[in-house]
Amino acid sequence: MNTELSHFAARLRGLIVVGADVRSLYSTAINEPPHVGSYFQDFNELALELFAFQFKYNSAYQKICEAGKLTPQTVEHWTQIPAVPTAAFKELELTCLAPNERAAVFHSSGTTEQKPSRHFHSAESLAVYEASLWSGFQHHFGKAGELVFLTPNASAAPRSSLVHMFEIIRQKFGLPESVFTGSISTDGSWTLDFTATIQKLKSACNTDTPLTLLGTAFSFVHLLDFLAENNLRFKLPENSRVMETGGYKNRSRVLPKEELHALITERLGVPRENIICEYGMSELSSQAYAVTSDEWRVASKTGTTHHSSPITHHFSFPPWARVQIISPETGRGVAEGETGLIRIFDLANIFSVAAIQTEDLGVRRGDGFELLGRAQLAEPRGCSLMTA
Amino acid sequence: MNLPNFFFADLPPEATLSPPMIAAACDSLKRNREKHLLPRKTNEIVKILCEIAAEWLSPENKFRRFALEFGPAETGFSKTVLEKGLDGFFRRFTPENFQALLEQELGHARRLDEFVAGTMARGPELLVHIAAGNLPNPTLMSLTLGLLTRSAQFVKCASEASFLPRLFAHSLRELDPKLGACLEIAGWRGGNAELENALFAHADCVTATGSDETLEQIRARLPVKVRFLGYGQRVSFGFVTREVLREEEIEKVISRAADDVIAWDQNGCLSPHVIYVEERGAVESDEFAKRLAVELAKRETTEPRGKISVDEAAVIASRRAIYETIAAHRADAKIWSSQGSTAWTLVFEHDVKFRFSPLNRFIFVKPVPDLNAVRQGVDEILGKVSTVGIAAPPAKMKDLATHFARWGATRICPLGQMQNPPLTWRHDGRPALGDLITWTDFEL
Repeated sequence: MNTELSHFAARLRGLIVVGADVRSLYSTAINEPPHVGSYFQDFNELALELFAFQFKYNSAYQKICEAGKLTPQTVEHWTQIPAVPTAAFKELELTCLAPNERAAVFHSSGTTEQKPSRHFHSAESLAVYEASLWSGFQHHFGKAGELVFLTPNASAAPRSSLVHMFEIIRQKFGLPESVFTGSISTDGSWTLDFTATIQKLKSACNTDTPLTLLGTAFSFVHLLDFLAENNLRFKLPENSRVMETGGYKNRSRVLPKEELHALITERLGVPRENIICEYGMSELSSQAYAVTSDEWRVASKTGTTHHSSPITHHFSFPPWARVQIISPETGRGVAEGETGLIRIFDLANIFSVAAIQTEDLGVRRGDGFELLGRAQLAEPRGCSLMTA
Repeated sequence: MNLPNFFFADLPPEATLSPPMIAAACDSLKRNREKHLLPRKTNEIVKILCEIAAEWLSPENKFRRFALEFGPAETGFSKTVLEKGLDGFFRRFTPENFQALLEQELGHARRLDEFVAGTMARGPELLVHIAAGNLPNPTLMSLTLGLLTRSAQFVKCASEASFLPRLFAHSLRELDPKLGACLEIAGWRGGNAELENALFAHADCVTATGSDETLEQIRARLPVKVRFLGYGQRVSFGFVTREVLREEEIEKVISRAADDVIAWDQNGCLSPHVIYVEERGAVESDEFAKRLAVELAKRETTEPRGKISVDEAAVIASRRAIYETIAAHRADAKIWSSQGSTAWTLVFEHDVKFRFSPLNRFIFVKPVPDLNAVRQGVDEILGKVSTVGIAAPPAKMKDLATHFARWGATRICPLGQMQNPPLTWRHDGRPALGDLITWTDFEL
């Protein structure tokens, strides 16, 4: 047991919990900016402190920092702290935890990957993850009503950080009616029990009980395709909601977000404003959320801002995680409205690495971002093969 | 310079093409061919091709100047890269080289004009090219071959990638308007079935460059009578033997390796993704890598890489991040890269496995104990390889070439010449003119 990290974890959990409570007092302020809360005004100090610990106790990370000549002695601001690419979690054991402390491990998803990312957790780090995810979820969903998770349950998918998150949400809500309707097929991919899902949809409609459906984009595509094939359409009760999290991993056809959301509205009767997008990954302990908003569309009409899509989803992390949008060309942060790679500093990643460099592109929007996803090499410039 | 509206590609972007327009264009191309192209003799065509090349090589030529001035914005290649690439291409256009090409392909240079020893060749009436990307040389070469076979030609470029083929066509039209009237250049995003079906209905032969899926899609839509020549995406690699890794030669070898990485910003199928370097030379493989990195940095100042998209840069940045992490943990892995830009990257790693580079001057240097290790490393890309660029003592070249030829490479050349194939080059190992023509045998 590492006392320095334990103390830090206890402190952060305290801040997250208090922060969540304080925010709930102001929950009427809908247009609250991200990173609200005076509790995290000392974000920089916390980040530097955590960096010093991770440099000290995470030997794989220490080597990366030393190679880049960025150490606790030279770094002055959290934005300078070396970020580790998500892919490095495949190659290295990026953890401060000794082998005997590793109570759980989350793997990156994807059926074709030979080597998944591995994010190790102890009981303590799981407690931080759970505090973080719960606070973030609550902030966006409040009273979510009955929950239907379109994923396998935690005993079927013990290495999925998403499923772990869903399980914690299920436990915290304490509603026995909440169910997981996904399962794992023989090839390891996730499938959906359509009968069980439809039954839930029907009973929600019959009893006029709001439902919250949670799942990956591909599980929604599976469900929507099934509904279309069987000519089924639901009008879920008012206040029903959808939480959709990105990524297709070649598990279904890929739909642009707008199209997916339009289909959700068409087939499930959940209005656009009740579809909430989540952005998370096994390498992180906090998640970003985005609510569909027409607000920015209006702004774009006045020419104040450029948008690649008519309706945008502005993701923001909770106050204990911050985002930088990094120009892939220069390695520096981009200006407002410009595109770059998403880099996250997640204070809740206490026992691994807080600074994570993703391979996702995003447009910088205030303190948050608009998600574009993996780089697309649409038309090759030459006749050579290249892989993204 | 204002180019007249002559080709479809000259029309403003808002102009939309329709199937009847395509059909009408094909009809008039065929009529013009009948009148202006078919009666010409091979030596006349060769003369015009050499003249046009000489013009493009002249610093004062307006098409060249236009290409170099606006090319960087239009194609994403810097001025010096364009200049070098185009010059290398047009320098091959000599009467001797055309003679060699014609003899190689037809056995006799006049066989497209008349019966020679009982055999005569003719080209397709309408030859359609589906070009890919911004790299002009393959398209210009296709056009050249089509002129030799006296075919009317329709070049379909990728959307917004018609700039250089269009300029070439205008230069030809200016020199010989009647020949120019046998060409059409258009650009649209591939997969437009309406337009393409109209085009394919008129074609006698279709050449296409692209991914296997693209080629498959095109082939499936062609009428049976249409001959199809598909050129899939290929990759290339380099091999440096230990004998040339000595102080007397190393500078030259490094410079040639850099030439191959820099040419067309590594975007062509002839550009290397990986350079295999034999260990235990007087100059060790890691020292080779280090010096190549220095050379790439130096050349960036004189032959800068062009601007690339955010997505392309993101792929490079992500790959760099991974290798920086690996290099921090393994003494035998190293990475050198341009600071504050993605202009060039060199990854040195011991794993012999071939790696696909994200291109745009991102090169892998991999030490190998011997030739067998190279074979092992490239095993997975067998059938996908175009060129092997070799730096070795002259006495050893033939054995190495035989080795790689038996294995399945279709072109072996000296390192430094990978992007500079001769006029007689057989694309993907297929005959250059031989695949286009049809023979007539005359028996007495």
